[in-house]
Formats: sequence, structure tokens, C-alpha cells
Amino acid sequence: MISVTPKPLASQQVIRDLNSLTPEQVVLTIQNLNLYYSEKQALHDISMLIPKGQVTAFIGPSGCGKSTLLRCINRMNDLVDHCKIDGEILLHNENIYGKHVDVSMLRRKVGMVFQRPNPFPKSIYENVVYGLRLVGVKNRRVLDEAAETALKSAALWNEVKDRLHESALGLSGGQQQRLVIARAIAIEPEVLLLDEPTSALDPISTLTIEELINDLKKQFTVVIVTHNMQQAARVSDQTAFMYMGELIEYSDTNTLFTTPTKKKTEDYITGRYG
Amino acid sequence: MKNISEITKITTVTSQHKEQNAPMNNSYKTWFKSGSPWVWLSASGVSLSLISVLGLLLLIASKGLSYFWPATIYQFEVNDLQGSSYTVIGEIYERESIPVSQLAHTKMVFSPETETVERILIKTGNRELVSLDFRWILVPQITKTTEPKNVVVIERRTNGNFYGFIDKIILDGKEVKKQQLTQLIERVDNFQQQIEDLQKSDIGSINYQLERLRLKEKKYKINNQLTSDLKQEIDIQVLALQNQYKVLEKKLMNLRQQVVRDQIVVRAMDGKTLTINLENVLSVSYANQLNLVEKAEVFLQKIGHFVSDDPREANTEGGVFPAIFGTVLMVLLMTVIVSPFGVIAAIYLHEYAGKNGFTKILRIAVINLAGVPSIVYGIFGLGFFVYVLGGSIDALFFPENLPSPTFGTPGVLWSAITLAILTLPVVIVSTEEGLARIPSSMRHGSLALGATKVETLWRIILPIASPAIMTGIILAIARAAGEVAPLMLVGVVKMAPTLPLDGNFPFLHLERKFMHLGFHIYDVGFQSPNVEAARPLVYATALLLVTIIVALNMTAVSIRNKLREKYRALEH
Repeated sequence: MISVTPKPLASQQVIRDLNSLTPEQVVLTIQNLNLYYSEKQALHDISMLIPKGQVTAFIGPSGCGKSTLLRCINRMNDLVDHCKIDGEILLHNENIYGKHVDVSMLRRKVGMVFQRPNPFPKSIYENVVYGLRLVGVKNRRVLDEAAETALKSAALWNEVKDRLHESALGLSGGQQQRLVIARAIAIEPEVLLLDEPTSALDPISTLTIEELINDLKKQFTVVIVTHNMQQAARVSDQTAFMYMGELIEYSDTNTLFTTPTKKKTEDYITGRYG
Repeated sequence: MKNISEITKITTVTSQHKEQNAPMNNSYKTWFKSGSPWVWLSASGVSLSLISVLGLLLLIASKGLSYFWPATIYQFEVNDLQGSSYTVIGEIYERESIPVSQLAHTKMVFSPETETVERILIKTGNRELVSLDFRWILVPQITKTTEPKNVVVIERRTNGNFYGFIDKIILDGKEVKKQQLTQLIERVDNFQQQIEDLQKSDIGSINYQLERLRLKEKKYKINNQLTSDLKQEIDIQVLALQNQYKVLEKKLMNLRQQVVRDQIVVRAMDGKTLTINLENVLSVSYANQLNLVEKAEVFLQKIGHFVSDDPREANTEGGVFPAIFGTVLMVLLMTVIVSPFGVIAAIYLHEYAGKNGFTKILRIAVINLAGVPSIVYGIFGLGFFVYVLGGSIDALFFPENLPSPTFGTPGVLWSAITLAILTLPVVIVSTEEGLARIPSSMRHGSLALGATKVETLWRIILPIASPAIMTGIILAIARAAGEVAPLMLVGVVKMAPTLPLDGNFPFLHLERKFMHLGFHIYDVGFQSPNVEAARPLVYATALLLVTIIVALNMTAVSIRNKLREKYRALEH
């Protein structure tokens, strides 16, 4: 069993029981979510609450559907052909799969960072303000300030402040990933989805990103998918364990890693499969 | 070049490898297994194509450029079969050996061991004195060859070159010293230039305005709007223009009188004298007195004239400037038309069209479009664009001009559009390939930030795909600039009186016919009344066409490389 030292949550209140959340504490409610790729069912009847201002991690073996579930939250699965979804995901009591939902608006509220850093072939500055330019912000001062704030929040400011107008493709992998995070938080989303954000990075960059995630939850609700259990244990407040498209167990990280209630969870975290 | 050096490197590496390891009896098998034969095969394929390209260019370049190099003028004394002797002056154009048997009918006597006889083709010029300005001479019949120092080559506006000797220079009816000749030619040249300017810009502009006024009046008449006021207004304008014209005409007459003042009296090879008006003279050179530097100077001058002058004498003399201009303008117009259509079509096919059978059929149709013979596009262009579209435009917008067509006749616009259709598949295919190569993470990154599909396309996808789009445009230019067959139906002419671009509003006259280098080659080489005289021009024009296509391509390639450099890090 992995030893986990419970980390102190300075300003945040530790949520012991996920079922006793008040409505104000919940950002996302997933209800009876089923997802099919053509004939194959990839997610089975998933229901869970994601609390505000905390880091929630999805763990599980490859192909268990954790990334698919994450992509449902900002409707990136819409881009996949023959993908059918039923059930509901409520963002503040509004179903994001409702008929009149503006997907662009939703994605501005629910930002996403991908597995591999994907900066656009533009300057660092233009990458960060991309989302703002999309909504029509043209004022140079507003853009400059937003870029600085976002880069500072992403712990990248000091490294790039002298070369904001150089190509983003010249940054290292870890810097690129932080740039992509800065780009996502520049438009001030409520929820930030991180899809295995460190899997393509070296250990030092990984550490920087993990520290960053800890800072980010002061402003945003973070949902992270990771196949690295230690990482989930280090950065998250809640952890959901998924297996074969089903949500097996979901509780606060400490509990899940120290006293799992399900056999499958125990087998996975003790490294018996996965 | 790079490929070859790489291949040779590989070959050396493998052969060293072989020498060290393979046992002697097995060496052939090992050599075969090592892959060297394939390396050699592909290397020879590459070298073969390289050699043929270079050989072609070298042939065209040498033949084309030698046309401009001032040739030595020889004087041959010839004793012909009848025993009469005569003098031939001219430049050697070609040499060849012919078998003696061909000369059997001439009853010439050769020693039995002679198998071939050499003969030379002499360009003798003086077209007004002799019917043919080229003459074959058998080398054995030449009794004496000299290079007279005082022989001149006079390049003329009509009747081609004159080869002979200057007898006297006449200035305003009086004989003057020969040294004054250059000065006099410069003077006449100056006046000629003024006359040309006057005719082309000032008088041309007045004629253009008069024509527009005539059409304006006719338009009012057709619409029954011609009141006496309007009529009077137009008449006043016409009168004003006609007065201007009279002034210019007087000026022109004055200049003309200046030009015809002086003459040169010359003596040809057969002793006949001839008076040439200086008006008719372009340049006089003592070709045999030139040293190498002077020859190079003349060479460059001639090239300069070739690319900047209008053609003369049914295109067999003079320059090809209108053809260069027409080719470049048409290709640029074509590019402007084909790029947006090609890119939009590719975006639709790749981004919006459903992945179904219909799209597949569409894609196959696009690819097959590239295989349609170009003359078919020409016929389509003539039938649809010129007659249907152009005819409708005429009926709608230029009824005053009918029955003479404005757009309902072949012109540079229709040529550009026809070639745009011809090259459309190339642009579509390469743009689509470019779009397919963009990693989906770019798209997702943009979409995840709340961009719509259109915003993602404009801000992310198209900039990244721009090198691929440029590749398509490069291929389109390469194909279009060399195409002649369809153009013969939709706009190219042997001789266009005006360029499609001039100083008269609206400056760019898309309805005008134009000249094209490719067609010029065909016309000069195969439709010309004087094939021998035109042959070097064919090479020179071909060289020019290749140079222009290469220049257009290089420009596009350099733009593409800049774009590639910008997005290089994306191509892992």
C-alpha cells in the first residue's frame, strides 16, 4: 500500500463526506452518464459530484474511460464521430448537454489542458491572449495585464517575460505545458480539466506542474486525469477510481489510498493490475 | 543535389562494409543483399533526370544566347559551276556535311575518296535586293575568305539586317563625314522615341476617350435618354478632343519631317548601291572592328532590346516585351483567381463535407479533373466563359458596343479563368494534404479555448496550412505558365496592338487580347514566313519562358520556405 501523508489544506475545508456537500460547494454534477462509441459502451452509468475549489483526480488503468469522462465535461467528445451520450452533466444546475447550450461558452467556462503540450505556432504572448482575442478584446493594456497575470499564475512569467514575442515553439516541453495552462486560465474558467498533463514531461517539469496545480485550486476547480497514482495522491483532494468504464470508488484521496472499500480499488493501488 | 550526395555517401559506406566482412565467393550475394544495387539504381535515376534537365537548359541557353552575340562578318569569293565568280557577305549561320551523292546532279568533280562535302549557310540579309536572305555555299567553291574591317551591319526597322559598306552619309541633302553617323542616329532615335510616345500615350489616350464618348452617346440613344443638352455636351467634348488631336498631329508631322531628313548610301555585296533612310535604321555596327569588351556590350544591349522592345516584321525581329508582359500578367491573374477557390474547396472537402461516398466521389472527380487534356478546357472556356458569360456581360453592361463584343470575345480574363480551372485540382489536392497533416491537438487546443470551428480555421489551421497552400500555388503556376493550347482559344493572339495595362482608365483592361511567350514560340518557329531567321528567336524565347517560369516559381518557393520556417517546429 502506498503511504500517503495527508497534506494540510490551508484555506480549503477538507471534505470528508462527498455525499454531504451543500449545493454551493458543488460545481459539477454528473448524473447517470452513459457514453457509446458506435456500438461499444465506453462509460457505464456514472454519477458523481465534483466539489468547488478542489482538485479531483480520475485514476484507473489504461482504457478505463477516465479521459473520456473528462472530455465529456467540456464536450470535447462532440468532435468524435459516432459518439453518443445520454445522462446529464450539470454545471451549476444547468445541463451542459441541454438543447440551447452554447458549446463555445461552455468551453470558456470549462478549460482544458491536454496530454501533450500544444502551443500554437505563434508568439508566447499571442498564445496566452488567444482566448481573449476570440471574445473580441482588443485593448492592448487589458491584454497585456491578462497575459502577465495568467503567466504569473502558471509560474512561467519569470522565465518568459523578456521574450514574450518570440515563438512559443522555442520553449521546453515543461514550459510549453505551463504556457498551455496559462492560455487556459487567461480566460478565467471556473473549471480546469487536465488530461494527464505531465505524462509527456520529465520529472522536474512534472514537479513544477504539480506545485502549480496546488496553487491553481485557490482560483479554479481542477479535475485531473492521471495514470500515476503517486501523482494523484500528491495533488488531489478527491480521487475517483475507474475501471472498465465504471466508477468503482470515489472518495477523498486520503481515504481512497489508505482504506479503500472495494476490492478492485485495493488491487489497483497495490499494483496487482493496471 | 543533396539526394545524390546522400546516396553516394550511403554507397561508400555499404561498399566499405562489404569489403571488410564478405567472404570472396559470397560477395556478389552479399552485395545484392546489402541494398547497394537499389541505391545505384535510384542514384542513376536521379542523375538521368538531372542530366536531361541540365542538358535541355544548356541547349536552349547556348542556342538562345548565341543569337545575341555579334557574329563576325565574312566576305567570301565564290566560284560557281558555271565558272562565274561572285562575292557573298554575311555571317555564318550553320555548317553541315552532306554526302557527295547528293551533289550528283551538279556534275561537280570530286576525287573518288571524298565522301562528304561541307557546306555553310550564310545569312546575307539585304532582303530588298535578293529574294532570300539566306544562302548555302559549298566550301570547295570558295576561293577566298576575308573579314573586311569596314563592313557594317545595319539593323533596320524593315527588311531585316543590311550587310555591306557605307558609301556616304547625307545630312539634309548634303554629304557629311562618316564620323557624324553615330550622332545622327542618336538624333533620329531620339525623335523616333518622341513619335512613339506621342502616338502611344497622347494620341492613344485621345482616341480612347473619343471612342468612349461615341459609346456614351450610343448608350444614351439606346436608352432613349439622349436629350439635345446631352448631345451638345458630348459634341463639345468631342470637339475639344479633336482640337487637341489636331495640335498633336501637327507636332507629329513636325517630328516625322525631322526624322526623314538624313540618309545613308550603302553598297551591297554585289556592288549595287542603296539609299537607306536613317528613319529606318536601328543601329549600325562595324562588327569586325569590335573587341571582346565591345562585343559583350553589344550582346547585353541586344538582350536588353529583346526583353524590352515590341516585335517587328511579323514577330521575326525585335523584342518580345508584350509577350513577357502578357504571360506574367495572365499567370498572376490566374493565381489570384485559383488560390481562394482552391483553398475554399479544399476546406470544404476536408473540414465540412461528411465522410461518406459522395465526398469520395467528389474527391475522385477533383483528381480526375487534373487529367483532362488542356485543350478541352480551352474549348470549355471558349464555349462557356467567352460566349455564354462574356456574351451575357456584353448584353447586360455593354449594349452600346454591340455588335462588336467587349467581353464576349477571347481575352486575358477568360484565359486566366480557364487556366484557373485547369490548375484548380492541384491547389485543392495539396491544400487538403496540408490540412490533413496538421496535428489534431492544434484544433483541439483552439476549440477547448472556446473558439468556434470557423475561428479555429482562420486563426490556427489556415496559417499552419499556408506552406501547403503555397506548394499548390507553385505547382499551379508551373503548370499554367507553360500551357499554350487552351490559350489559343480563349485569348492569346499573334500580335496585340496594346498591352492589357495602360494609362487609360480603368488601367487594367481585362477584356483585351494578349501575347504569350509560349504561343510566341509556336508562332515564330512554325508560322513565320522566314523560318531560318526566326529559329534563334525560338531558342531565345524558350529560354526566356523557362527563366520566367523559374523566377515565378522561385518567388513562390521562397515565400513558402519563409512560412515553413515559421511553423517548422510543428513537424516532428
